[in-house]
Amino acid sequence: MPDLGSLLIQLFSGLSRAMMLFLLSSGLSLIFGVMNILNFAHATLWLLAAYLTYTFFQIFSGLWGSEALVLVNSIVMATGIMFLLGMAIERFLVRRMYPRELPEQLLLTFALILIFSDTIKLFWGVENRRIVLPIEPMEVMGSFVNPYFFVIIAAGCGIALGLRFFLQRTRYGKIVRAAVFSRDMVSALGIRIPAVYAGVFGLGVGLAALTAGIFLPIMPLSLGIDMDLIVQCFAVVVIGGFGSIGGTFIASLIVGIVYSYSILFWPDGALAIIFLILVGVLIWRPWGLLGTEMRY
Amino acid sequence: MSSSGATHKSGWFSDLYQKRGLSGPAAVILFLGFLLVPLLPGKFPIIVGTEVLIVGLFALSFNLIYGYMGQISFGHGAFFGLGAYATALLFRYFQMTAGGIGYFGFFLSLILALPLAALGSWVVGFFCVRLTGIYFAMLSLGFGELLFYLVFSWYSFTKGDDGIQGLLPPPFFQDATYYYYFTLAVVVLSTLLLWRITESPFGYTLRMLRDNRNRAAFLGINVRRVMLTNFVIAGTFAGVAGALWGPFQRSVSPHILGWAESGKAVFMTLIGGAYYLAGPMVGSIIYTALNAYVTRFTVFWPLTIGIIILVFVIFIPGGLLSVIDQRIRFRLSAGKVEEIRKGEPVSPPGGGA
Repeated sequence: MPDLGSLLIQLFSGLSRAMMLFLLSSGLSLIFGVMNILNFAHATLWLLAAYLTYTFFQIFSGLWGSEALVLVNSIVMATGIMFLLGMAIERFLVRRMYPRELPEQLLLTFALILIFSDTIKLFWGVENRRIVLPIEPMEVMGSFVNPYFFVIIAAGCGIALGLRFFLQRTRYGKIVRAAVFSRDMVSALGIRIPAVYAGVFGLGVGLAALTAGIFLPIMPLSLGIDMDLIVQCFAVVVIGGFGSIGGTFIASLIVGIVYSYSILFWPDGALAIIFLILVGVLIWRPWGLLGTEMRY
Repeated sequence: MSSSGATHKSGWFSDLYQKRGLSGPAAVILFLGFLLVPLLPGKFPIIVGTEVLIVGLFALSFNLIYGYMGQISFGHGAFFGLGAYATALLFRYFQMTAGGIGYFGFFLSLILALPLAALGSWVVGFFCVRLTGIYFAMLSLGFGELLFYLVFSWYSFTKGDDGIQGLLPPPFFQDATYYYYFTLAVVVLSTLLLWRITESPFGYTLRMLRDNRNRAAFLGINVRRVMLTNFVIAGTFAGVAGALWGPFQRSVSPHILGWAESGKAVFMTLIGGAYYLAGPMVGSIIYTALNAYVTRFTVFWPLTIGIIILVFVIFIPGGLLSVIDQRIRFRLSAGKVEEIRKGEPVSPPGGGA
């Protein structure tokens, strides 16, 4: 039996993993809720954003040294670029797919995975990349914890609250929520639906980019890590219920924490347990934990 | 045949076209083409051809679920993998007990893959057919990934990430050409069976489920049972393709169970044409042959195929065969327009007089 300290470390790492899953899945869920497009390429765009942030960090830290502020700066720039890229993808590619059937939509985003992951290989090569921030480990109950976990958990909760505030309280958030229910009605009220769509896609991709930047200091980048992540995000979205941000949050906590503890006991089978949960939830409640039966 | 002016549009091609649609002539052309592949110089075309056939059969079995039943499965690779692993493990068993694999052991391990794939697809299908649309896709994805990680992590039984190596078939099938013709025979037999199934009342029931499930249910069709039967048939044929895979590659590895592998079946089907029996095989030719030859010139194969898929999805949504189908139909009807202009009677399809 592992000691209390390592259990605690797993808790922190599980929570921070949950934050990553939540931020990615909420973008996925938002895009699906508004446009009915399941974006297979979401995690690949996340990886692209991580590499972009890495490059910005390399450039700026050469000028000003490896400081936290330099990282923030790089994250903001990469997020901005990815937001614009997301809007462009919606405008020029995804928009053509709205009248089509589900498999064709999936195929388009599948093609984007191939294109973007190869683009990453083209520009950044196959070797692993990581950035090093000067962080001292912190002692908690006899074990050493990377204090950056707390930064991640705080940032994740902050972004989640910000997203909630945006969706519930602001004018644009209300438009997005209305578009989930009835596009035609929103359009009839004189709101330009194409602009909303592009904005939501950009927002989802931007969220993914933000997540990538925040996780960069504890995450070595390598090709192909997006493929595992995207199916886990699907698992989170399905377990939580399509279109339910609250459900997505709970599901990410479940998946993140279960994953990090099963790594302690059965390292190779940790993901098998996640998919066992997914299969179980789909059989028991196909609409997810907090989803409404209506969409089923 | 008729001696009227319409005969210039007659001939085996248009006869078969009018009777069987595009898939009839396409199947004949594909079959003749496959027969002649070993005449090409070098071993490379034979190896590519074998892969085209095996993956094509896998895509054909997937299309039973997608093109005919209207559901999309992202876990179909699991049954391909089940078939492949069943054959591989039996291979190892025979090799260890008998010191080598004989013809009996070879065929037995191929054939025993079928009931295992059927059983696996029955268990998965039992749950999947309760759902439709995106939920069907997600549940099949979940089961597929579950199986993938089980195979991946159960090292003592499946050798995990290393895969199972050294699957050397008996001497006769070690020759690439003979194994190619053996594969061709199995694939042709399977395709004939699939064709029988899709043209049977059962096949038309599937099309009805695709177009309108509720109406089918009102007519007294047991929707879930039909879907489950079809799921098991599709899974079994995927198992056939998987069984052929191990002796061809001389090894199996767990990645063949993953969702990216299932995704390949999806885009082969869509590139070729989901509403044609021959569509997935055409897609397999485009994908696999391109893969084999493009990777010789560039390492950026995913970028190439990604752009090809993008172009297909946006500009040729029905797949390659639908474009050809439209061209043929246009030319056949253009011929008739000319006859009408000349004042000659138009003969009905299939000749007359």
